[in-house]
Amino acid sequence: MKSTRGEKIFYIVNNIVLALVALTCLLPLIYIISVSLSSSSAVMSGKVFLWPVEFSLESYDLIFRGTPILRGLLNSVIITVVGVVLSMVFTILAAYPLSKSYLYARKAFTMLMIFTMLFGGGLIPSYLVVKSLGLIDSYWSLWLPGLVSTYNMIVMRTFFTNIPSELEDAARMDGCGELRLVAQIFLPLSLPCVATLSLFYAVSYWNMFRNVLIYINSTAQHNLAVMVNNMIQNQTLLDPNFMQAEDISQATPQGVQTAGVMVMVVPIILVYPFLQKYFVKGVMIGSVKG
Amino acid sequence: MSVRTTTVLSEKGRKLQSRRRMKQNIPLLLMLLPVLVFYIVFKYAPMGGLVIAFKDYNFADGIFGSPWVGWKNFELLFSGANTLNIIRNTFVLSVLRLICGFPAPIILAILLNEVQRNWYRRSLQTIMYMPHFFSWVIMGGIISTIFAQDGVINQLIMMLGGESVAFMYNPSTWIGVFLGSDIWKGMGYGSIIYLAALTSVDPTLYESAVLDGANKWKQIWHITLPSIRSTILTMFILATGNIMDVGFDQIYVLQNAAVNEVADVISTYVYRIGLQGAQYSLATAMGLFESLVGLVLVVFTNRVAKFFGENLW
Repeated sequence: MKSTRGEKIFYIVNNIVLALVALTCLLPLIYIISVSLSSSSAVMSGKVFLWPVEFSLESYDLIFRGTPILRGLLNSVIITVVGVVLSMVFTILAAYPLSKSYLYARKAFTMLMIFTMLFGGGLIPSYLVVKSLGLIDSYWSLWLPGLVSTYNMIVMRTFFTNIPSELEDAARMDGCGELRLVAQIFLPLSLPCVATLSLFYAVSYWNMFRNVLIYINSTAQHNLAVMVNNMIQNQTLLDPNFMQAEDISQATPQGVQTAGVMVMVVPIILVYPFLQKYFVKGVMIGSVKG
Repeated sequence: MSVRTTTVLSEKGRKLQSRRRMKQNIPLLLMLLPVLVFYIVFKYAPMGGLVIAFKDYNFADGIFGSPWVGWKNFELLFSGANTLNIIRNTFVLSVLRLICGFPAPIILAILLNEVQRNWYRRSLQTIMYMPHFFSWVIMGGIISTIFAQDGVINQLIMMLGGESVAFMYNPSTWIGVFLGSDIWKGMGYGSIIYLAALTSVDPTLYESAVLDGANKWKQIWHITLPSIRSTILTMFILATGNIMDVGFDQIYVLQNAAVNEVADVISTYVYRIGLQGAQYSLATAMGLFESLVGLVLVVFTNRVAKFFGENLW
């Protein structure tokens, strides 16, 4: 089909508008990178825009030597890796039985879970439960209260339901037990879904903020999100125990803040290209009514 | 599956089958058990804990031992100028967010759908989806750097001969930053679901529209939008359910004392009064109010949507 003059103008304007939107997504990030890589004098005099001025790694040097941010990075990794494994195991353990039509009270169980998406006890009662279980200051307080996301569980269940039952029947004939059935038949067939949901869980664990603030009191156990936020709120978290006084006076708040933000952003950007195809798929699976 | 073939069966056969179903159910129920315990302990027990909204909770007496006070906590909430202001802020910010934020991904999806070159569309999408994966802490860091008194935006304003603006300390500009950051973060990712819906639109519709002389705007208005109507409605119902839930993280990282009169919302109030101030009952009452309004809104919008032939359940 030949496009008319009006259509040509439309396409050009459309492409430009979208390019501008994409730029607004990209520019703040480039600015943050530039500030974090510029010398403190350049940042103070306001010369930095979209390119590092007087390139220097002093901000990174400062936060890695002057703050426990490496510890925070390690904590974030532990919280994320263990959390994703736990969440996936129990999401699958719930989704599999609920995908079977012959499960007793299947509808009642499903409703019981879906209702929690519409109504909940809220912050204080949940806090009291976690506290009464003695989980404060332990990472279990981060893993257990959000162990299974009902939304993710429903997505997994829908995926299992669509797996043809012939394979299952054949495996059962050969005397395959339920757990082996899940591990050897269902999981290999639902890898894209497992990858997507793992990604969703990983993002929420990596970015976890409020629960760490509430449940974890000891600063040594804080994750990156809480540490970096403290840096931003208090302008700086440089610890005099870690470094010399003259080093601290050299630091600019912006340099330290932006470097802290970058420590949180870089891991996301590194894995982002590999995950893109999965999360798009995941949103689409989720959009199918459960 | 053998269980599904319920043809005509003798009494004995039926008994055999129900025994067989039970046998099949035992491992399934065992698998489900830990998750059921999770739901009961971490989802339903807190719902039971909501009774402390009607009590004067203290640690010594516990949930059951603390004295009942009836509606006193709610009376306190709905008579205090400060708490009423917080409830109002929550409403205002979320309604503004719904009005500004809800159409953004729809518009974006329609525009992206009109991009002719695949590689261009894909690179745009890659860039636009990214902010979704940044936590509000990262957003807070970026925003406070860019909008600071000596930040890049103010430098640009001054370069153009304007006065610098205290974006984060001025109620109206703060709301602007709040809404803008929300749209910025969620727009790209939110468009995925609409783009998915748009792929199922029959292309011959457009062809015949073009033959009838419909221009681009008419095509979008009469073909594109109606075809994703059900997705829009579904997303709208879900959005109204969250209307009282102005995310804690977002407010917490953007908040400061200067803008408290517009920026203090229920979630930050509950955190401050309940966990930092140890007024558990008052904070729980506020939380219960928030959840109930959310529940009522979802049920209500679902009713309305049903009237238009769409609904969630």
